Amino acid sequence: MALRASRWRWSRAGWQRLALVLLWVGHGTWVLMGPPSGQRWGHASEALARPSQGLAARWAEWRLAQQDAALSLTELRADRTRLAAELEQVRLRATREAPRQAEADEAVRLLGLKKHIPLELGAARVIFSTRPAVFGGLILDQGLDRGLVQDQGVLVPEGIVGRLWSVSATQSKILPADAPNASVGVMLMRSRATGVLQGLGSGRALIRYVSNQEVVQVGEAVLTSGLDRVFPRGLLVGYVAEVTQGDLELRVILNLSAPLDRVSAVLLLPPQPPVEVQPPLLAPDVKPAKKRGTP
Amino acid sequence: MRLPAPSSLRQHLFCGATLALVALTAPFPVVQVILHALLVLALAPRSGAALSGALWAVAAGWVLEGTLRLYPHLGGTAWANLTVVLLAGWMAGRWPLEGLRGWLARLAGLGLLHGLLVHGAVRLAAGPHPWGWGWLGSLLTLPLWGWFSWRLLHPPADTGRR
Repeated sequence: MALRASRWRWSRAGWQRLALVLLWVGHGTWVLMGPPSGQRWGHASEALARPSQGLAARWAEWRLAQQDAALSLTELRADRTRLAAELEQVRLRATREAPRQAEADEAVRLLGLKKHIPLELGAARVIFSTRPAVFGGLILDQGLDRGLVQDQGVLVPEGIVGRLWSVSATQSKILPADAPNASVGVMLMRSRATGVLQGLGSGRALIRYVSNQEVVQVGEAVLTSGLDRVFPRGLLVGYVAEVTQGDLELRVILNLSAPLDRVSAVLLLPPQPPVEVQPPLLAPDVKPAKKRGTP
Repeated sequence: MRLPAPSSLRQHLFCGATLALVALTAPFPVVQVILHALLVLALAPRSGAALSGALWAVAAGWVLEGTLRLYPHLGGTAWANLTVVLLAGWMAGRWPLEGLRGWLARLAGLGLLHGLLVHGAVRLAAGPHPWGWGWLGSLLTLPLWGWFSWRLLHPPADTGRR
């Protein structure tokens, strides 16, 4: 009996029998537990799998987010490239049209000035400038072919430019107001004292024949007096920059208001304009009265 | 005349191949049940090596139910297989075979018992379930696979009988 117990306990056959019994009993127990235990095991396995499932879900979300971000980045890069190309085209177009735009702006300004002067004004384009040279001037693209004559006044919206010095068949030359041989009848705006403008070059001019008794302030506006029969009265010439007492007269220096070095289009006054012109009476825009009930 | 037992390696090779076929024939349930019966009733039982036979039978049960994927609680077929293979192994040692006819008769009896045990254990484990026609197929084709397994385990040269 003792020998059999020893063999059962330690022999290979005994271990095999034990394994068989455990296998059979374990399976039987498992079978007898039935579906509810399976559900419990299912719940337990779900609970155990929940962290890994959450991790997998987060990983999938992160991957999707990365893919979306990469897609968005690609789209943004494509948009940026397209917008850069469009911007370059717009800039190129603006560069091409800039001269035309500037000319159009200038034309609009001239047109505005033309509306305020009730005279028959002509327009011309400056095609060349010889101002850096001694006694230089501005060359216009019109001449006798357009009926221009000498001593016609030339002005821009900022102020007077000068007068026509010589007129050829197709071109004209302007004598600028700051030329040493230029002379324009002017008057001071406050004191109404008159004088003659004599150019000093570089956009500056000297007013001569102003009495020492006159009170002139720096910054005072200087207008045309109309006495030279080139410009009518009241056109802006410039502003007083410096006033000094002389022996017999005041030495009044002014800065011309017209940018003589940057003029591209000018207006031409008619020859021998009247001394004084009245600004046109602009009729107000009268809107037609709406009838009640009409849309 | 007592027949010599087949070699252990040969029997394990047959069991492994049949188990693979059980897994691969999942789309054909009747064929799968027949192969399952062949493995559990004919190839796995071995007198004196109950543990290896039991493991093959348990594996066959789990593979069958695992490939079916029908039951809410698996394990019934494996338990029935384990029970039948232990019984068949005991019978092989207790009543050694002497011929093909006895082999077929033993297979028929064990087949009936196996069918009932499988359905009973599955009912215990998973509840009511459809029986299907696999059990009938395995019983009807028993002469075929019984003779085949007899030839596999006891080749004519070993038995001396044609």
